Amino acid sequence: MPLIVDEDLCTSCGVCVDRCTMDIIRLNDDGFPYKKYDECWYCGVCEEDCPENALIIDLPFQVK
Amino acid sequence: MIVIIIKIKLTKFITKNLYLNINLQIMSFIETKTKVGELMNLETDILVIGGGSAGTMAAIVAKEQNPDSDVVIIEKGEINRSGSIAMGMDALNIVVQPGITTPELYMNSARIATEGILDYKPSFVMAERSYSMLKRLEGWGIRFPRDDENKYISLQVHAKGSFLIEMDSPELKLVLAEKVKEAGVRVINRTIVTKLLVDRGQVNGAMGFNLRTGEFVVCKAKATILANGGCARFSLPNSGYLYGTFDYPGNAGDGYSLAYQAGAQLTGFEYTNCSPLIKDINCPLLYITLTRGAEVVNALGETIDLEYVSTQNMLKELREGRGPIFIKMNHLPEERIQEIERILFTVERPIQKKFWENRGIDFREGLIELGETEYQLCGGHGLTGIVVNEKTETTLKGLYAAGDVACVPLQHLTGAFVFGEVAAEEAVKFASNNDLGEVDQNLIKNEEQRLLNVMDNNKSGSISVQDFEYKVRRTISDYAIPPKNEIKLKRFLWWLPRFRDDMKDIQVTDHHELSRYEEIQFILDSAELSVHASLAREESRWGWFHHRTDYPEKDDANWLKHVVLEKGLKSGEVQTLLVDIENGGEH
Repeated sequence: MPLIVDEDLCTSCGVCVDRCTMDIIRLNDDGFPYKKYDECWYCGVCEEDCPENALIIDLPFQVK
Repeated sequence: MIVIIIKIKLTKFITKNLYLNINLQIMSFIETKTKVGELMNLETDILVIGGGSAGTMAAIVAKEQNPDSDVVIIEKGEINRSGSIAMGMDALNIVVQPGITTPELYMNSARIATEGILDYKPSFVMAERSYSMLKRLEGWGIRFPRDDENKYISLQVHAKGSFLIEMDSPELKLVLAEKVKEAGVRVINRTIVTKLLVDRGQVNGAMGFNLRTGEFVVCKAKATILANGGCARFSLPNSGYLYGTFDYPGNAGDGYSLAYQAGAQLTGFEYTNCSPLIKDINCPLLYITLTRGAEVVNALGETIDLEYVSTQNMLKELREGRGPIFIKMNHLPEERIQEIERILFTVERPIQKKFWENRGIDFREGLIELGETEYQLCGGHGLTGIVVNEKTETTLKGLYAAGDVACVPLQHLTGAFVFGEVAAEEAVKFASNNDLGEVDQNLIKNEEQRLLNVMDNNKSGSISVQDFEYKVRRTISDYAIPPKNEIKLKRFLWWLPRFRDDMKDIQVTDHHELSRYEEIQFILDSAELSVHASLAREESRWGWFHHRTDYPEKDDANWLKHVVLEKGLKSGEVQTLLVDIENGGEH
């Protein structure tokens, strides 16, 4: 269940980390977001609130 | 510092590296702050637990009522996007419009929907105050579309009267969060409440911890409002995916468990409800499609009779082997399809767009398969919650409850807002006449120590939190949901102490996992309450939702009663009481 990040657009601002409703996103060592915990509700907040439109979420395989 | 940085809209003038550096500094700032055992000690007039629909409304109105009062919200998520309506909502389900419908007419509908298990006053107050709530929201910029005659667009989904008013507001939660900030409410984000502070039957605040940093938070309060939702993570969704629930899975029965452990009374836990929604993804679409001309057909191609969008009729088709069932829209005009798509793909669960694209289904041709969601406990969609009166007072002094956590049957979003407002009015009055209550320091020390012990002892546990929760919820699916019978329900009670004992083997490596560990306790408490209530109600009621194969008939002569639960003072076990309904439960 990946978080697809456009690394050219992402500024590592952390809004996705901050807003995630299940608290599962963190920034990796390069400053890009990833899902640290496998608990996504695919609410879409991270994608919607990303100021740079750098994020795309995919649905978990089980519900896809 | 953190808030300011995040609010800066990035510009091309800030280089990415500079920004990254600032960010990493913030992250390390958080990390260095994270030593377990650090204490955040707060005192306030009014503590609101849960910053969703009911909680934000309560906090805003409390500051409105008394700008000098100090108000704190403790929120498990982040307040801009938290709770059940993080991505907005498409309707206010219950609005009594003057000159069109009346609170009395709504009460007729509510009595039918609850089959008589309904106290009159709270629901009446909700109906009575619903229109002024709509006007309050409209004043804040929330859009309620109007038709050619300038009337609000209403839809009939109740037995009597057209009470559902369309709302067009994907940004609803952002607006509420902004109002909270403007009002000067203190917001403590990412903090899970694990225990209420109680002294001789009076609630004096709450304790919990920051689920990123582990900081232990103690908040003493003159009045406490519980507004932290129902239990969405009850039985297992058919997808098998733990978080693939219909309702927001952050709600794990936190408030039910907190109130129960503190000694409050709860009710309606035998009303285990589910809905027929989009199979696999469990996203809602019924009202939006069915009120715009869509039909539901079964596997035989027959159209299902749906009086007022009766989900029970749909579920019956599935249970009686005439499924799969489908929503059919291919007969609708293009403009209607576009309207449906616009709402479904922008408000509440916009992820649906990707789901349909991935499946290659176009509403103009394809059928939408409906599946049964998991079962949940909820005061908004069901009858489950903390016992409250029309003033949102619980049975504990100083504790108020609003929204899905409280039992005002089928109150939906309207109830969350109206009772958020009511709770604020009552809590402000209470706080102005009371000082901060006594708090036993041992309670605080013990709770902190309990959490530290879990962090310590469960470091190298052999079962992941997800694995453990999976088995708990599978067992709920096996034994605690309909069709119910005594032997089956008691099987769950056989498992319960084993689960509680096995929790020592859950692996907890950080505070995020500790929060999931705590949530498993909330789920277990909610299930325990539900099973006891289901055992107590020796009849069947609400169609499938409380179907007892050993008591298959509805028995109005004996069972127009509330099944009320509380923690036995001496035994510490669940006590069941049968309580008369305010008006005798006529319906």
